[in-house]
Amino acid sequence: MSKFFINCDQASILSTREQYGDLNPKEIFRHKLHRGHCFKCRSFHKNNAKFQRTLKGLRWVSLGIEQKKLIKKALKEAMSK
Amino acid sequence: MPEVKLIPEKWVDRYGDYLFNFTISRVNDPIMAQDLVSETFLAGLKSAHRFKGNSTERTWLISILKRKIIDYYRKINSNKGKAEVRMSYLPSSDQDGDWMEERAEDLRNPNVEDVIEQRELGEALEECIACLPERYATIFVQKTIDNLETETICKEHDITASNLWVIIHRARVQLMECLNKKWHKNS
Repeated sequence: MSKFFINCDQASILSTREQYGDLNPKEIFRHKLHRGHCFKCRSFHKNNAKFQRTLKGLRWVSLGIEQKKLIKKALKEAMSK
Repeated sequence: MPEVKLIPEKWVDRYGDYLFNFTISRVNDPIMAQDLVSETFLAGLKSAHRFKGNSTERTWLISILKRKIIDYYRKINSNKGKAEVRMSYLPSSDQDGDWMEERAEDLRNPNVEDVIEQRELGEALEECIACLPERYATIFVQKTIDNLETETICKEHDITASNLWVIIHRARVQLMECLNKKWHKNS
């Protein structure tokens, strides 16, 4: 039985992992099964997915690899002085 | 509170993107933002002996960056002179001062509202990330924003994958609560 049924703590972690596409089919099944009878986790999962959509919608900018290399080089030079 | 030590070798990887995002939302120029981030790290290195360890590395670097941004605006304002203000409103425009009425943003345009909302949301999220414990913030940013592999992050922080997911989960829960508070307060 424990193969299929998980508690709410485990379900909430699975919900987070699901946002990053990290679940295998068994975990997806267990998570779905849990949500089927747990209103709290169903609601959390819904909010978690909404939050993920919000994050995806934001325009994140990051330094490129070359830019990082340049800054690291400058920092290294300054440290060696 | 444990004493915080500066590790300049890790600054670029740990805080580079965070500082860059922080800067670009304020100066709106990627090249200048990169320069400011670079200057911040160098200034941090110079004044490392003055770091007392009362705040986290990130908070300390952000305070240096804020001063750099203020200096940047002071400098460009003094360069403008009193008689003439030259502005280029469009990156594609060769002419300074192309501020024709048709080029002004129409605030009724839903796209403009979306952009403003996205920017405000991004800033709120930045503030919320800054409130997270440093380890949570770093790992969350690496996984969510930098899209680093789980294995890479685990190696860097010497944690197991289970630990990583617990940290990310807790960070997300705190961020959701923080954003809800900020969003409801502002709206």
